[in-house]
Amino acid sequence: MSAARVVRTTIVVGALVVLQFALEPLMPWRVSADFMVIALLYGAVRMRPGAAAVLGFSLGLVTDSLTLGGFGAGALALTVVGFSASWLKALFFADNLALNAFFLFLGKWAFDLVYVLAMHNLSLGAMLAQLFIWSVLSAAVTAVAGVVLMAILRPLDAARRA
Amino acid sequence: MARAAHSGTRVDVGVLVVCVVLSLLTLALPQPMRAPVAAALRRTLMSPLVTVQRGAAQWRVAWMESERLAIGRDSLAIDAADAHALRLENDRLRGLLGMGSRLRWGFVPAEALQENGRPGDVITSLVLSAGSRAGITTYSPVVAPEGVVGLVQTADPATSIVMLFSHPDFRVSAMTADGSVFGIVYPHIGAGSAGYLLELRNVVFRTLLKPGAEIITSGLGGTFPRGIPVGTVIAEIRNTEGWSRTYLVRPAVNPADVTSVMVLTPQRASQGVGNVWATAAGADSAQARITTVSDSLARAVARLEAARRQAAADSAAGHPARPDSGRGGR
Repeated sequence: MSAARVVRTTIVVGALVVLQFALEPLMPWRVSADFMVIALLYGAVRMRPGAAAVLGFSLGLVTDSLTLGGFGAGALALTVVGFSASWLKALFFADNLALNAFFLFLGKWAFDLVYVLAMHNLSLGAMLAQLFIWSVLSAAVTAVAGVVLMAILRPLDAARRA
Repeated sequence: MARAAHSGTRVDVGVLVVCVVLSLLTLALPQPMRAPVAAALRRTLMSPLVTVQRGAAQWRVAWMESERLAIGRDSLAIDAADAHALRLENDRLRGLLGMGSRLRWGFVPAEALQENGRPGDVITSLVLSAGSRAGITTYSPVVAPEGVVGLVQTADPATSIVMLFSHPDFRVSAMTADGSVFGIVYPHIGAGSAGYLLELRNVVFRTLLKPGAEIITSGLGGTFPRGIPVGTVIAEIRNTEGWSRTYLVRPAVNPADVTSVMVLTPQRASQGVGNVWATAAGADSAQARITTVSDSLARAVARLEAARRQAAADSAAGHPARPDSGRGGR
């Protein structure tokens, strides 16, 4: 990966992380977009799986430091998601917004799945409701937000390729 | 090349395993050991992000507070508007109660159901919440504490329709309050608020009425009893007929403000209303006089008090009394 690409990816990932912390208090709903997952997937498909796992671990620790319980659950979930996304990047790189939306949806839902299982502080009913209602809705919202952001960032990638 | 790729993959998997193990170790840490790590992260690496998050949260709180304030301000404005309307209605109902106690008998109280006409339209009729079952008959006079409202045109069992004085067919025989000048009151044909004005026609040419002269019903014709206020003279209308005068009259009642009325029964209309409105007017003017006198007394007391304080201050300072103090001043 070239230095310019590293810089650009770092800036975009950093901006998305800041966006997560800036917008989270403004979206106090149970279903909201997860810009941390979008940042991870944006970065992961542009680096090797090992580096993506480290990025996921770092972003997970950032997330976990602001939660009262489950310190490490976010790190574990984002590590797995980051590594998987990078490993599947051949598919993810397809210039197809619908496919990108599907991978964002899958990434967010996988993050919630690993996170909820690692936290193991919910009853079975609450866990199922979280995974199959709220997580699905959050994943859908995240996919929409991610596709919008990718559509905005697409000219940058096109300029790079040109 | 394939070996390098295979080696790279092994490194990636190794890094993944390390990250996963570190995550699990972090997850397995007891709470007393987790808290310092998280706190150290928040104080160092996360500090700018926590600041951003706090700023966004404060912005949201401020936004919600401004919305709450706007809602509160709107509620207060609505309450204030309601209070004004309630005060007006209270005054009207109090006036109606006073009139009811003065009339004593021969009337039917009713609610006026206003028509929602287009803005600027002149309202010419009203629906009342009482009808023939309550004793209302056709051509019964309809009055308010201020004066004439109209007369009943149709009396159904539960409701009745009133022809207001603004209706083109409305007529009432009228006179000045001192009984020296007689005429017939007609509606003044005009648009907007001018449509609620009245005309006093057929006034004998030799008599002149000054603006402000009170016009009351004369009792001639049998529909309206004598002594109910109709309005006050505004000015003379110049007309081409040389044998009588016509005056523009401001009605005593504003139809737009009518919410409660009284319908006089035929027996009461035939026997008259005595000096019910004259008594009310007298009571009002007496009240006004009492208020004026009490205000004058209060002002006089305040002047005397100020003069007493000034005199006390002068004597305490050792100054000679003023020439107008009544103790000399040569």
